[in-house]
Amino acid sequence: MIALNVNGKSYNVNVDAATPLLWTLRDTLGLTGTKYGCGIEVCWACTVLVNGQPEKSCKFDTSSAAGKKVVTIEGLSADRSHPVQKAWIAHQIPQCGYCQSGMIMACAGALKADHHGKEILSEMKNICICGTYQRIKEAVSGL
Amino acid sequence: MTHPAEDFLKTLSNQRLDRRGFLTFAAKGLAVAFVLPVAGRIGTVAAAAPPQQLAGAYVRIGTDGSITLAFGGAEMGQGSMSGLAQILAEELMADWNQITVEQSLVNPIVSYLTGGSSAVRGRYTTLRNAGAAARELLVAAAMAEQGDPARDNFKAASAAVTHIPTGTVWPYKALASSAAAQSVPVDLRLTDPAKFRLIGKPVARIDIPAKTDGSAKFGIDTWFPDMVFAAIKHCPTMGGTLAGTPAKPSSAIAVVPCTASDSRGIVAAGSTNAVAVVASNTWLAFKLASSLSVQWKLPVSTNAVDSAQILALAQSLATDGAALVAEPAPPPGYTPTTYAPVIEAQVASELGTPTLEATYTLPYLPHATMEVLNCTVRISYAGGVAQSCEIWAPTQSAAGVANIAKALTGLAPTQIVVNTTLLGGGLGRKFELDFVSQAIQVALAVKKPVKLTWRREEDMANDQYRPCAVVKVKATLDSGRKIKAWSYRNVSQAILGQRGWLPPGAVDSQAVEGSVHLPYALGTHVSEWVPLLAGIPVGFWRSVGSSINAFAVESMMDELAMAAGIDPFIFRYDHLTDARSRAVIWAADILSGWRKTLPAGRAWGMAFAESFGTRVCQVVEISNPTASSVTVRRVACVIDCGTVINPDSVEAQMQGGILHALNATLWGQSTFAAGKVKETNFNKFRVMRIGEMPQVTVQIITSGEPPAGVGEPGVPPLAPALANAYARLTGVRRRNLPLFPNASMGGG
Repeated sequence: MIALNVNGKSYNVNVDAATPLLWTLRDTLGLTGTKYGCGIEVCWACTVLVNGQPEKSCKFDTSSAAGKKVVTIEGLSADRSHPVQKAWIAHQIPQCGYCQSGMIMACAGALKADHHGKEILSEMKNICICGTYQRIKEAVSGL
Repeated sequence: MTHPAEDFLKTLSNQRLDRRGFLTFAAKGLAVAFVLPVAGRIGTVAAAAPPQQLAGAYVRIGTDGSITLAFGGAEMGQGSMSGLAQILAEELMADWNQITVEQSLVNPIVSYLTGGSSAVRGRYTTLRNAGAAARELLVAAAMAEQGDPARDNFKAASAAVTHIPTGTVWPYKALASSAAAQSVPVDLRLTDPAKFRLIGKPVARIDIPAKTDGSAKFGIDTWFPDMVFAAIKHCPTMGGTLAGTPAKPSSAIAVVPCTASDSRGIVAAGSTNAVAVVASNTWLAFKLASSLSVQWKLPVSTNAVDSAQILALAQSLATDGAALVAEPAPPPGYTPTTYAPVIEAQVASELGTPTLEATYTLPYLPHATMEVLNCTVRISYAGGVAQSCEIWAPTQSAAGVANIAKALTGLAPTQIVVNTTLLGGGLGRKFELDFVSQAIQVALAVKKPVKLTWRREEDMANDQYRPCAVVKVKATLDSGRKIKAWSYRNVSQAILGQRGWLPPGAVDSQAVEGSVHLPYALGTHVSEWVPLLAGIPVGFWRSVGSSINAFAVESMMDELAMAAGIDPFIFRYDHLTDARSRAVIWAADILSGWRKTLPAGRAWGMAFAESFGTRVCQVVEISNPTASSVTVRRVACVIDCGTVINPDSVEAQMQGGILHALNATLWGQSTFAAGKVKETNFNKFRVMRIGEMPQVTVQIITSGEPPAGVGEPGVPPLAPALANAYARLTGVRRRNLPLFPNASMGGG
């Protein structure tokens, strides 16, 4: 059993310690907002915050999250009121939307680290192939 | 040519609708069913289908005040779910926040294949009529209540009908039940386009909020507590089959051999080309599948699935292969094959010694949608006998899914439910049924609800790729520097032919999209296609043949302009035959304005393409060329797609088409060595990151013409515009894509 704190809730999960946090979130806890894209830390679709720090959950062992505060897209706010979520809606950013959980979490992590405006972009290496980059650039300029 | 969806429709018996295709009936309010083109093509609607299948097939106005549009397509980011609702709300006289959209279960009336940039353009008139019919029924109900037969005394707005003389107001919900008893009047009072409130306005897309908080459900997000998780492992050598069922690893739940659903190149329908590993979570299934020891029976030869060998064959066919004529249409007594030598001789005599002759080469391309292929299946049993099958799939073809489920399970259509989920990108790949078939096979084997997910590496190694192509173009200018003769020969695999959808001796329409019906005056000309027999599975990739042909046509137009010493805008302007196309390139020249302003070290290039009824001109500015890179600074894009539903969505689709094409132009390819693909994940397949994205400026030319496609037409002009800029900047003409096949991977 591994004790996790995800979005402020406590869970005890019975998974192999090496199971990537991504799959514990998705398959064991049913928190499917965090996405699988590449499985090799290249696309950033699986980005979550661990103790406030953006981490690629596809290569982050579940056991390493024990005792830490994990925040996923579902826990960013209760009502889409986080500034990043508000900016994403105001700028009508998502197209297919699949990479956007990771985008938003990477952006939220950068904000938390007190990056603002254009600085945020250098903290976001997420892959989007729909073409939302331009609107993201416009949105972060106001953050 | 038959698509599985058509068989599905034929399984349902038919009933006539009224002559305009409306079916109205009461179901807790007013429901208006309307025939969309896929059903309209067979002329009638399947009203004998069981009620649960019809249940989603209409616009519903509930007695609870809800107004719901059943959406029968696939929302994969292109915004058609929202766009269709906008059209309906316009005529229904509902405010934008009063309408909701519900993804329909597979249904013979509303379900349609999502492809060909057709969602909105194919449904614009139907949805306007449906919205107007529903509105007039509601007004008729109010007229009956008021006892006033004068239609002009009533006004519909904000989902309510007002009797103007008395000021009496009925919200639609109060009229919904009685409206169902009215009949649709002859005059639907369609809204004057000059008075549109919603069509043409940048309203907020319906699907966006849920895509910012994790609540949007893609196929891969289907989850219930008692499900098991499966991973697929295909034979790593394309065309290989399973030599024996591998031993089940101790931590796996099951190992299930899977057969291919369709013949695609070297992969034969019914051959056991993959094995699924079922486990308690996806990661474990992935891990077990990766390390599973499998004995494969390899194909006798892999020559037909080796890029280098295929390219060599295509190059020889470009010179001396037997061609089929796509344009001009063969006269009576000729076939596309027998006409070739006749028209070739005519064109050759006009060509003389061609002014220019060039060969362009394009690679295979994967779709690499961000959401990998996946499908969830739950089959219910009673006494060991299957009773029903429910499927959740990110599919561009819900009816195809229903049909393959029927074939594999033996269940009746009424026992099969197909849920189309959101798609994490489709791009043409999720039109195919291979992953759906595998998931059903696994569910049948393990008798438990199962979600099958392809690892990224499986997804990119077992795609149905954009075909590679070799295109040879010859052209001759006359003394007035106008094109006098044009010979065009495209060598590529047949997407339709590989599916058995092409009669022998016929031209594959997908291969010649963008090389026929060109808007240019080309003098004496021929457009030919030479079928390339290769074993790589090929499929529909955003903009399909136009992604290939626009590169060759527009590169050649640029080369000719340079040879003639004429500005590329003016050269095209002089050859364009229609006013709309001319207006688009002129607007792009003004929008960019870069001919006057660029400092040294930068250059621009332009290209124009019409696809899916839409005209697009793009101007690209570049700088810093090296052997392995170039900086793409800006793209100016002008589009005429006829009537615009949502200009904000059009802009997003242009930004998206441009990014998709930039990835393909700069770096994109799938290469095969003896049947094994090299590019299997994003560490070996470079795509742009946010810092590399050029500034894109989009201008929409509005016209009263019917709506045309938007999802795909942003792609075709980008590659030639970039290659044309490169030639202007460096003096080096690049005729092979991608431009930088050996580039480093960039930041990740």
